[in-house]
Order: sequence, then structure tokens, then C-alpha cells
Amino acid sequence: MNLWEYVRNRQELLWFETYQHASMVVQCLLLATAIGLIIAVITYRSKTASAVATGIASVLFTIPSFALFGLLIPAFGLGTTPSVIALVLYALLPIVRNSVVGMSNVDPALVDAARGMGMSRLRVLFKVELPLAWPVILTGIRVSAQLIMGVAAIAAYVSGPGLGDQIFSGLARLGGANAVNSALAGTVLIILLALVFDACFVLIGRLTTSRGIRG
Amino acid sequence: MTVAPDTEVAAQPSAAVKAKPRRTWYLIGTPLLIVCALVADWLYVRSTHPDANARTTLQTSYMLSKLLEHLELTVVAGVFVLLIAIPLGILLSRKGMRLATPVVLALANIGQGAPAIGIIVLLAVLWKTGFEVAVVALIIYAVLPSLRNTMVGLQQIDPSLKEAGRGIGMSAAAVLFKVELPLAVPVILAGVRTTLVLLIGVAALSSLIGAGGLGEMISTGVQLQRYNVLVTGSVLVACLALFVDWLAGLAERYLRPKGIKA
Repeated sequence: MNLWEYVRNRQELLWFETYQHASMVVQCLLLATAIGLIIAVITYRSKTASAVATGIASVLFTIPSFALFGLLIPAFGLGTTPSVIALVLYALLPIVRNSVVGMSNVDPALVDAARGMGMSRLRVLFKVELPLAWPVILTGIRVSAQLIMGVAAIAAYVSGPGLGDQIFSGLARLGGANAVNSALAGTVLIILLALVFDACFVLIGRLTTSRGIRG
Repeated sequence: MTVAPDTEVAAQPSAAVKAKPRRTWYLIGTPLLIVCALVADWLYVRSTHPDANARTTLQTSYMLSKLLEHLELTVVAGVFVLLIAIPLGILLSRKGMRLATPVVLALANIGQGAPAIGIIVLLAVLWKTGFEVAVVALIIYAVLPSLRNTMVGLQQIDPSLKEAGRGIGMSAAAVLFKVELPLAVPVILAGVRTTLVLLIGVAALSSLIGAGGLGEMISTGVQLQRYNVLVTGSVLVACLALFVDWLAGLAERYLRPKGIKA
């Protein structure tokens, strides 16, 4: 059976696993963005606090994904929970770092002007600082998306959802029929998904960047 | 990931942030964390009273041999990656080859989305299992990011400095070796660091295709449902990654050519 026949035969399963993969990545990204932004908003005004936050995130980031999954299994068992936690932890570093950098690079004169107009701290944050830092923050999210797309494949090893299942069943059937097809289908679909996501981020960037700073 | 001007913050995962925390914290923090993790793991393993199955894998001699296998995989693949990526990166950033730059960057972009486990398994099912296959998989996985790093490092050099070099009568080769490469050293070293950490992580996965290494403890732990083996394997891999990252960070600090500010 060649790859094309394999894909045709398993169309529904592959669609489902692709959907699972994409949906897991999207949900983890949303979660990581929310957490990352909160951490950044809390810490960006203090050099020490933001250094500590990025420091912790970069330690988590340095831990290899396989080891991180291994550390999460005893606490959370197998399945979706450890997968989601691992992906969110991975996605945090680029988001936190870019948010901190983006927000602390906002021209202080602009913040002053906004304060002078009578805006409250919160309004300055939402109307001035976050919109100006948004392109940099979005880049962080985009980098995270690419990263966890590949890490999500390992989730199948801890019985998590997604396309990693194709890869690991290819490994399990090593030497047997369809081993190559299965591993190839999983890998190629993940690469395609990553490209689609990257394209979406370009679009999201166009649509959500404040008009004043759009290039 | 394309490197547009406003996106450069994210282009180098480890370099930008880690230079910031204060020097003493950097020197002490990571080793302290590693020691704490190892001690905590030791206490945890003792409290679980490992049975005979677990004990065979928790012997010091076994763990040491796995650690050595892991290092061997990483070092062999790392040497090849750097031997390929740095000269190729220099070559591709020469004048005549400029056209290739966007192609390589686009390829690196696609490669980034490729799952490491997919490459390893694919090679194993297409070829065979074992050490050599794992090394090849590691090289394939790490060569593109390192290549991109070298090229970005050379690209971001102020062109006026190169012109000044030519202006004082340096040959093109002299400009490359005396101006461009020294100025690109920080970025290249940051790339070496990222590559090594990446390789340690991927080497952990290559135990799944019978190439040995510390990942074997993780998969054994999962298969036998011995959490003490699983956790010890994970802690060792994590500590190894943190340690190598720390060492490479030190190298980044002290090998930086004088005259380039941090």
C-alpha cells in the first residue's frame, strides 16, 4: 500500500487526529498566552521581578520535552492532562519574554502623555501599552506555536491526543506493513499544520495590529 | 519563523534573556538547582523502596553508562552539526550566494515545525534502529537552526564595518576572519548553546529506537510502571540539559571577543 492509499483509507482517522492536534495546540496557546500576559503585566515594571519570571520560564524551557512528560506522569497520570500542562509550560517562555520586552520598550513619553490626558493606570495598560507591544507579543505566541506543534507529537507517548499517535504506531509496527506510511503521514501532517498555523499568524498580525503602528 | 526587524527578540531563544540576570545568580543558580533536583530525586527514590526490577536500572554503574551513551550521542551529532552548519552558513552569506539566503531561511522555517520524534521514527522505519540512525536523525533535526543562527549572526553585522575593513586595505578573506567572524562570535556561540540543549533533548527520544542514552530510563519507567525509575531518568536528562546550557552560557560569556559589549 502506498502513502496515498494509506491516507485515503484512513481519511477519517487522520482528519480527526489532525483536528485533535490543532485543537490541543490552540487551546494550550490560549492558556499560555493568558498566563504569560498576566505574569508579564505583573512583573514588567520591575527589572528583578521580570528577570525572575523569565529565568523560571527559561529553566522550564531548557528541560527536554521527554523528561518534562516523564516528570508529569507520576503526578497527573497518562492522557490529556500531562500533555496540556507540558505544552503550556513550554509555550510560556517565548510569550513571557516577548511580552516583557515589548511592554518595557514602549516609549515612556507615550505613557506619560496618556497619564497626562487623565487615563487611569489600567486604561494606559489596555489602550497604550498592550496595543503598542502587541506585535512583539504576537511574535512570541507564533514562536510558541511552532515549538509546541512538534512537542505535541510526543504527547502520544503518554497516551495524549493528536497526530503523534501515527508516529508512535509507525514505531510500534517497525518493519511491518504501513510502518513507513503511518510515520510519514504523522510527520508530514504536523509540518503542514505548522505551516498553516504560521500563515494564520501572519493574518492575525495584520488584523489585530493597531492601525497607528501598522507598517 | 521569519526574522523581521521587530521580531528579533524571539529569534534567539536562549541568548537574549539569559544574559540579563545578575552574574552571581547565573554562576550559582543553575548548579544549585541541579544539586537540589538530584538530592530531591535521591530522597524520593529512597522513600519508594525500589523493588528488584527498579534496582537494576537505578544502579550507579547502569546510570553512568546511560549518561555516557547520552553524551556520546549528543557530542558526535553536535560536532557534525557544527562542522556542517558553520562553514555552510559562512559560504551562504558570501556575496555570490545571497540568493540562497531566503531559501535556507524558509527551509529552516519549515524544519522548525517538524517534530523531532517524527524524524527519528521515520529514519528508523526506513533504515534501521540503533546509534548511527539516531545520530543522523539528530543531525538532520539540528542542522537547520544552527545554519540559520550562523547566517543571522553574519547578516546583522554593520555593513559599514565591513566597508571600513576593505577601506583599510584588507582582502575579502581578511575581512571575513578579522571583522565578520569575530563580530558574529556571540551569536554563533548562542547558537551552539541552543543546538547542544536541543540535541540533549532529542537524544533522550532516540532511546525509543534502541540508541541507548538516559531516555531509556524514562521509557523503562513507563513500561514497567516504576515511577522511581521514570522520575530519576527524567531528572537526569533535565539536569544534563541545564548543566550543558550553563556550561555553554559560561563559554558565551568568556569566549566573547574583547571589545564587544555584552
